Amino acid sequence: MRLLRFISVLLFIVLPMTVFAAHHEGMKKAKTIDELAAMYDSSSCKTCHEKIYQDWEKSTHSRSIFGTGRTAATIKTTIEVGLKGWDYSGVKKPEDVKVKHLMICAKCHLPQLQDAEDSVAQEIVKAVYAYSAGDEKAESTLKKLSINCMVCHNRNAIIHKWVDGFPEKGVVYGSKDGVHADTANPKMKKSPIMGESILCGQCHGLGPNFELENPSQCGTLYGSYLWAYQAEGGTEKCQDCHMRKSGLGHNMQSYRDPGMGKAAVKFDVEAYGHYWRDGAKIVPQAFVKVEMTNKTGHTIPDG
Amino acid sequence: MTAKTPDGKEVFKKSKIYMPVPQQLGRGDRMGRGPYEKSGMIRESGLPPHKTVTEKFEINFPFEDVKEGDKSVRKILAHDMTIDIELWYLPFGVKDEENSFLWQKVTKSVSISKTGK
Repeated sequence: MRLLRFISVLLFIVLPMTVFAAHHEGMKKAKTIDELAAMYDSSSCKTCHEKIYQDWEKSTHSRSIFGTGRTAATIKTTIEVGLKGWDYSGVKKPEDVKVKHLMICAKCHLPQLQDAEDSVAQEIVKAVYAYSAGDEKAESTLKKLSINCMVCHNRNAIIHKWVDGFPEKGVVYGSKDGVHADTANPKMKKSPIMGESILCGQCHGLGPNFELENPSQCGTLYGSYLWAYQAEGGTEKCQDCHMRKSGLGHNMQSYRDPGMGKAAVKFDVEAYGHYWRDGAKIVPQAFVKVEMTNKTGHTIPDG
Repeated sequence: MTAKTPDGKEVFKKSKIYMPVPQQLGRGDRMGRGPYEKSGMIRESGLPPHKTVTEKFEINFPFEDVKEGDKSVRKILAHDMTIDIELWYLPFGVKDEENSFLWQKVTKSVSISKTGK
């Protein structure tokens, strides 16, 4: 009887964890990269939102675990220098890496990895090492996964789930409620945070990610935005500068974009020559004054 | 920042890094470099939002002291300098072809008078 009670209590605890750990209620976890990519497939969005989709394709969001190649390389460094070197990580070799280990990077670079089994983590690890060894196919494997339409407009579109409800399957969250002309996602719902900085802040950093067993810290821009910009009276949202004013829309860029770079920093220099004198001795000098004004809503650079 | 005399000789070179300085594993005085080991902030030398960071430099024109009889006379070797002030973005801390780029550049020509007491 005691054993039965123990098992039923255990089931009560374990079952909900298994079922609800995936993103949508009842959603099965992906077993392969292809399954995870299919789970968040956004390719149908292109049919009606072609320009937006093309803009997004130009952004690093569209290759979030590959980046410019450095992101993939840093995932490997995380395993080699970090995980393998730590006594209690449980990782002695790349084959030991599980989803929970990759969440150090994936928390922001691929949040939907939470909706995958450890076999997907292993596939990613293999692709990262293969890319590092010069395998070009590995690059395209890594580029199958991204921060795409369904990540921002569904999975991460709601932060306060007890207030606004959990993101629903088949719903695209945006600026209005209504019918959505897509058989896979037939509903539109308004997300209360789609135009707010907190949407971006989920990934663009407050500091250590304390929810992880071993916190990492990549970007800290959202922290800077809150404490050094908004706290000083700043009123603009991330979307104001990175999407609207820049005209870049879903091709969200930072300083690499010439327009964004120019808008971000005012750079003024004054210089003139003069003689400095101390008694009979003169020192011919140039005086140079450099003024750099950060016009963004966060520190430059991120880090 | 570099300063060169008209003959192309570099007489001044100085650089400064602006960036958040993350703390390694949230303890002690070591800086963490990789995202996997960063947790905290030792200090922040980046450019703060909506603030102006001012840097001032004094660059000597090249000179030498020579003996003329009993006197030591200061001889100015160049009365003109070209000063290049560059702001680089180095996302990975080094100048590499793939990632770093020149963000801003200003060139100033500076001279001092050749006559006067």
